[in-house]
Amino acid sequence: MALLALTACGGAEYPNSTFNHTTDFNTAIDGLWNRLLFWGTIVFVVVEAGLIYTIFRFRKRPGGAPAKQIHGNVALEITWTVIPAVILVLIAVPTVKTIFQTQAPAPAGALTIEVTGHQWWWEFHYPEYGVTTANEVYIPVGRTANFVLRTKDVLHSFWVPQLGGKRDLISNKTNLLWFTPNADLGTNAWNGFCVEYCGASHANMKFRMFTVQPDEFASWVAHQARPAALHDSTARSAPAGYIFPAADLPAHVLPQTPTPARLQFDDALLAQGDAKRGETAFMMGGCIGCHAIQGNPMAVSPIGPNLTHFGSRHTLGGGLFPNDDHHLARWIKNAKAMKPGALMLVVGIGEYSPDLKGPVTAGLTDAQIADVVAYLRALK
Amino acid sequence: MASIAAPTTATAPTATAENTGIRSWITTVDHKRIGTLYLWTALFFFLVGGFEAVLIRTQLMQPNMGFVSAETYNQLFTMHGTTMVFLAVMPLSAAFFNYLIPLQIGARDVAFPRLNAFSYWVYLLGGIFITLPILFKLAPDGGWFGYAPLTTPRFSPGPNIDFWVLGLQILGVSSLAAAFNFITTIINMRAPGMSLMRMPMFTWMSFVVQFLLILAFPPITVALFFLLMDRFFGTNFYAIAAGADPLLWQHLFWVFGHPEVYILILPAFGLVSEVLPTFSKKPLFGYNVMVYSGIMIGFLGFGVWAHHMFAVGMGAVADSIFSLMTMLIAIPTGVKIFNWIATMWAGEIRFTVPMKFAIALIAMFTIGGISGVMHSSPPADLQQTDTYFIVAHFHYVLFGGSIMGIFAGIYFYYPKMTGRHMSESLGNWHFWLNFIGMNLTFFPMHFSGLYGMSRRIYTYDAGQGFDLFNKLATYGTYLLVVATLIFVWNFLRSRTRGAVAGNDPWGAATLEWSIPSPPPEYNFAQLPEVTSRYPLWDLKDPKMTEGIDHSHADPMQITDSHAVPVHEETERHTAKELGIPMPLPTAKPLFVATAMVVMFSGLLFLHNGMFAVAMTVTIGGAASMAIGLYLWLTSPLE
Repeated sequence: MALLALTACGGAEYPNSTFNHTTDFNTAIDGLWNRLLFWGTIVFVVVEAGLIYTIFRFRKRPGGAPAKQIHGNVALEITWTVIPAVILVLIAVPTVKTIFQTQAPAPAGALTIEVTGHQWWWEFHYPEYGVTTANEVYIPVGRTANFVLRTKDVLHSFWVPQLGGKRDLISNKTNLLWFTPNADLGTNAWNGFCVEYCGASHANMKFRMFTVQPDEFASWVAHQARPAALHDSTARSAPAGYIFPAADLPAHVLPQTPTPARLQFDDALLAQGDAKRGETAFMMGGCIGCHAIQGNPMAVSPIGPNLTHFGSRHTLGGGLFPNDDHHLARWIKNAKAMKPGALMLVVGIGEYSPDLKGPVTAGLTDAQIADVVAYLRALK
Repeated sequence: MASIAAPTTATAPTATAENTGIRSWITTVDHKRIGTLYLWTALFFFLVGGFEAVLIRTQLMQPNMGFVSAETYNQLFTMHGTTMVFLAVMPLSAAFFNYLIPLQIGARDVAFPRLNAFSYWVYLLGGIFITLPILFKLAPDGGWFGYAPLTTPRFSPGPNIDFWVLGLQILGVSSLAAAFNFITTIINMRAPGMSLMRMPMFTWMSFVVQFLLILAFPPITVALFFLLMDRFFGTNFYAIAAGADPLLWQHLFWVFGHPEVYILILPAFGLVSEVLPTFSKKPLFGYNVMVYSGIMIGFLGFGVWAHHMFAVGMGAVADSIFSLMTMLIAIPTGVKIFNWIATMWAGEIRFTVPMKFAIALIAMFTIGGISGVMHSSPPADLQQTDTYFIVAHFHYVLFGGSIMGIFAGIYFYYPKMTGRHMSESLGNWHFWLNFIGMNLTFFPMHFSGLYGMSRRIYTYDAGQGFDLFNKLATYGTYLLVVATLIFVWNFLRSRTRGAVAGNDPWGAATLEWSIPSPPPEYNFAQLPEVTSRYPLWDLKDPKMTEGIDHSHADPMQITDSHAVPVHEETERHTAKELGIPMPLPTAKPLFVATAMVVMFSGLLFLHNGMFAVAMTVTIGGAASMAIGLYLWLTSPLE
């Protein structure tokens, strides 16, 4: 049975495997799964073996026995009605128990994280700490994380395969999902996905979840709560907070999405990017129409992802690209070419804009984009 | 093979002038010709849906593949699902309903022959309506489930979803009309002596399906009507900005959608229940229980819809109830599986092509059934739903179940429909490539799903552990292409080159095998009076049926004064020669169906602000439909 091999592996080879015991939630699910697999395997073997035996044993042979004209057998039929029913009871009882266990209210002292789905990115808000971030969420091990799920537009679904089951984000409704990462989990990074079809870039709506030690989390959240702006001296003089070290990122959380060949950007310009000029370009170039940056009084719009401490993130574009200058420049220049259906406007001068049905004339030059890259990079 | 050698008396069917030519097909009201039209059209759409699947699998062959764009891919998976469900598998079943039900119950035709023609034309035009936009990259792209609010005008402003809403509404009319027709036929037109518990199992399963159709289609009709109003007339049934609850759509859709899957599988169960006894040379094991379990599956099928919604947060109580109801369905389904195996037990099994497909259905459907029980546990399902594990599950029950059963039926009944056998050796090639290709395509999906690959994604990243499984699945799909092409070739060439079949090439038990192949237009020159469940075995091998109850016709049944005992008919006449009144051919159903499609398609102009054009076309279509209906209903049937 190849299925049995399923439960045996996981880990590095299958970085999004659902067979983990990393949280209370997926431990409960995996216990159920093992029971389902056990009975499923038995039923499979019995039925298929019975079928194969029957067709070989009773195939028509010269000189073979004539067919017996049996029309039915009540005792037999009752037997094979009752046996499956008994098996189902053995599955049903723990199922119902687990349903009520996993859907109970989150334990006291849980960390509340408000998750908002957008086409096609994730917003994470920590009401306890006043932190808003996008596409990357940190949770401390050993403490229950209670996700409050809402959506701004269509339906989405929140799923970190290695940490637990999924829950849909339903418009005009608030859903809850909670789990407690094991205290011995260590510092680690996991892939999260949107798994409810939500339009053109459904496949590109990803996020990363970082499970970190409680002290690391405290440092991270304190730093994220502070404004991040170039001219805010308090922000600059404060000690830097914890960020999940780039060197420790496992390979599978680093996106390998190719960039479109027709999108050209002269990477040599990036070295000449100036953060101060970039801030001006950011405020003049229309970016503030959608993006908020805490500490920049001009940038307060809630439409797009919040860019406060953008430089501390490892991915961009809904987890689609690594957050480096090369990808960021192309993303700013023409997000729609980078991500099908992306709502971010095309701002690179000369690029075709579907909204304008023609090339962009009032936008940013490549040099200005390099400045904006430098500015965003400075928002650590 | 000796077992299928044709009797020497059989003659090859010949075409006569009045039953060829396009005009005769357009005006036909003969259930057999309508069944043939259904079969050809549905096979065409099956190839279209398969081609869409090939493009999907090619795009997913490797990570970050650029074979089709995201938008195109979304149209492809939406249309693959919509085509396979509504335009391929349902109509393939309908082809068998049309062709077989009157023959199996010993009737001259269905109760409403012209309504039957209408059903077909609506299906054909609706299928074209919903499929054509893909040529212009305007195909529906909201998934076959069309979840609101994604399908509302705010999030899907283009015409794509309009085609889907209107197309499904049109196709629903076809299904409903046919369902009323067959229920009336089965209740009223059985041959004298054929009580309900003497009906062939295929007719029984079809009977259950017709009730599922008339009960399941109204909810989706309502859901689609709300969406239609939202899209064309600015209502707010699903507009979230106005406070709508998207779960309204989900509940209405799945109240239809779950019975729908039993609509797709029960006809295949019926076909397999005809094939297995024939080639085991034994009656069906536990006929009564098979009937009851079919009814039970249909009945329980209406109480499990929310197991498609375990992740939406309905609460622990609702999750538990729907979970337990879902598990209950496993019991009648399991009973069917065991009874089929028991049917073959102690038989003389002949491995013909239809028998191979029927056995494959048992083997494959079991796998799909087991994974189905795995989803029935909501906490486990939270790791499975919306992943490829689900895709694997429903392809095992639909491809491994419905399609295998339908292929069994096609190979089994082809001699009846054409008078000639399909090639056995090509059939074997088709079977084995199909069987291997199917498992190679869908078995790896169990793994990719449980290892975290979600559904409906046009691409996936490298290094996620999905690569190998997707590669295997894609190669499996290419194998299925080869298998299907062999089938198509076999299907086409056997019409003129297959071995002549005769009345009863397989030694089957039911009435449709007592008349010439292909059946004459009047079906039975003299209506048979049925005295047991297996009339033909009574006639040819009375020892086989000693164990079951025999009777003379129930005096309560309206007996036809022309009825005679069950007998073999070998001579061909025309209805005129025999003085049998036949319904007149007419093109009015086609006219009414066309007018109806025109009426619906007028709405499409509303989105381009062409209000006057839209109203003209819609009202013009409605008026033509009314006039056509009046002419149809006032012209005599015979």
